[in-house]
Amino acid sequence: MDESVAESFESLDKQAHAVRLGMWVFLASEILFFSGLFALYAAYRTEHPGGFAIGVENNTIVHGSINTAVLLTSSYTVALAVHELRRGRSRRAVTLLAVTLALGACFLGIKAAEYAEHFTRGIYPGGHGRFFDTHAQAGTKMFFTLYFCMTGLHAVHVMVGMIVLAVLLGRVGRGRVVAASSYALAAGAIYWHFVDLVWIFLWPLFYLVPGSGR
Amino acid sequence: MSGAATEKSGAGRLALALAALLVLAGVSLAFRFAHLGATGLPVALGIAVVKAALVLIFFMEIGVERPTVRFACAAGVAMLCVMLALVVADIVTRTVPPLADPPGTEPRAQG
Repeated sequence: MDESVAESFESLDKQAHAVRLGMWVFLASEILFFSGLFALYAAYRTEHPGGFAIGVENNTIVHGSINTAVLLTSSYTVALAVHELRRGRSRRAVTLLAVTLALGACFLGIKAAEYAEHFTRGIYPGGHGRFFDTHAQAGTKMFFTLYFCMTGLHAVHVMVGMIVLAVLLGRVGRGRVVAASSYALAAGAIYWHFVDLVWIFLWPLFYLVPGSGR
Repeated sequence: MSGAATEKSGAGRLALALAALLVLAGVSLAFRFAHLGATGLPVALGIAVVKAALVLIFFMEIGVERPTVRFACAAGVAMLCVMLALVVADIVTRTVPPLADPPGTEPRAQG
């Protein structure tokens, strides 16, 4: 039997399917994890349209928009890494994974700069800070509390994704993950794409659409 | 189609998907300054759904997965839709007065 096939599986194909299925079931639970927060956002935005409009208009659209391009591009580079590994081009895959990690670090750096700008303006989680002395609406406080909570949890997922991809980069570089076992990298890449999917919805909700509440 | 051509088309599809995603992001950003009013949110979320579909199909390859994997994905999305639909249905059909604002906040009429 092939050494890369665990004892509990009859073939590499079945093992690969189990890995992919396991990742998707995990992602389904992650969808539910974030769905509670999206439901909270929907509820509070409906109750406080004016406060949320003020929140969106005072958010840092430049940081958020650059990060959207960064994360979309990183999804492309990791998908291309899987494509290259399947064709046996491990070195290209390693390079593309390194680019993906650099883009992930870039995303976190921009996010840190964004939070720093908020703190400078007196915007802290929980509606604390001098910004709320002049914007005391309940909706604005809730907007920024949800903003820090949801983008913070998303940033934690980015960090976890970077750790997963870094481990996989090492395994591809050492020849432990090759074309035949590229499903392992594909599973890690699917997690990274999920992180991208969450951001695709966070961006319009927190940066783009103030709505007609004012 | 030759092997090399197939390979190129695979990488080309990924590049096209990225281009489409960036164009859609640009359209979303342009609408931010178009002041669409009440239609702004559904338009922005509609574009986000299209972008998510592109990521699912081209990057996550959900279309070529086995039925069990597609079912797991569909179950997650379905549960998300149920939760959001019930929460929004509750809010838009409420007949009781809304909760009082927390102490130290301005009246609800302003936010």
